[in-house]
Amino acid sequence: MTAMTMTIEPVSAFSSLDVLVAMDEGLFKAEGLDLRMASRESRDIRSTTEGTLSSPVTNQGRLQERGEATMFQG
Amino acid sequence: MIVCAALVVPPDSSVYVPQELAYRTVGLDYGNGTAYAGLQMLEGAVPRDALATCAAVLHPGERYAAMMRGEFEATVLQEPWITVAEKAGCRLVSTTFFHGTWVAGPDVTPELYAAFLRGVTRAVRRINADKRRYVSYFKDGWAAGDPEVQALAADDFNLGRIQLREPTPIPEDEARWAWEWMASWGLIHGTFDVTSQINRQVEQEAHELAWEGRVRR
Repeated sequence: MTAMTMTIEPVSAFSSLDVLVAMDEGLFKAEGLDLRMASRESRDIRSTTEGTLSSPVTNQGRLQERGEATMFQG
Repeated sequence: MIVCAALVVPPDSSVYVPQELAYRTVGLDYGNGTAYAGLQMLEGAVPRDALATCAAVLHPGERYAAMMRGEFEATVLQEPWITVAEKAGCRLVSTTFFHGTWVAGPDVTPELYAAFLRGVTRAVRRINADKRRYVSYFKDGWAAGDPEVQALAADDFNLGRIQLREPTPIPEDEARWAWEWMASWGLIHGTFDVTSQINRQVEQEAHELAWEGRVRR
């Protein structure tokens, strides 16, 4: 099977325990997927306290915008 | 995965039910699912014009600490800080669950997404077979440097707050509801159009491919 590669934005256990376990236990690899997790640099991180309710600041999707990740959790 | 979010108040708070949060400041990490879950819990109990929220930091441990310092009267937490807060005597005045939804770029093919779905599905089955075995994951990442989280034992976690479901296509009515709810808060504008939000062709082909191959345990 030819391995496919995909990079996702960083995730945490509270929202993506399944993804973390699948990565650690080789479940993506068994399906022919080399799943990688990108890292955020300090330039990618803005504080949510800079935003307002109607104009929030979020870091989600910034790596995807730059082409460094293919998927992120919204 | 299904995310659990809890509306939490400090141990000495006079708030016992969400209605009592009217005109009291609730710290929310605006722009994130937990903040929106918080708004939904609040607006189920309090008229919108009586809601008082303020911007709080994204890191749930720091948000919890800010609440305990009295910077705001309540906040919304996710695990493992819900468990930390309960151990410290905080009260959960409301709890809710929401979907952690993936956003995919145009490079995601049905084959790629199908492999992702199969891997996730196998993980969901493993975790659901023995959730306690996997709670240590909640002590990693953001929580790795937090002594209160590191002090938690596996038995401290309420497994009912750890919910995983095998992935399914996004139901249009749920997507529409989420859009309209966000629009009602002025967070997005325009009319919901499912074709601009969900690539049904990729989604359908991926799900068909994923289940054709039968997911192994």
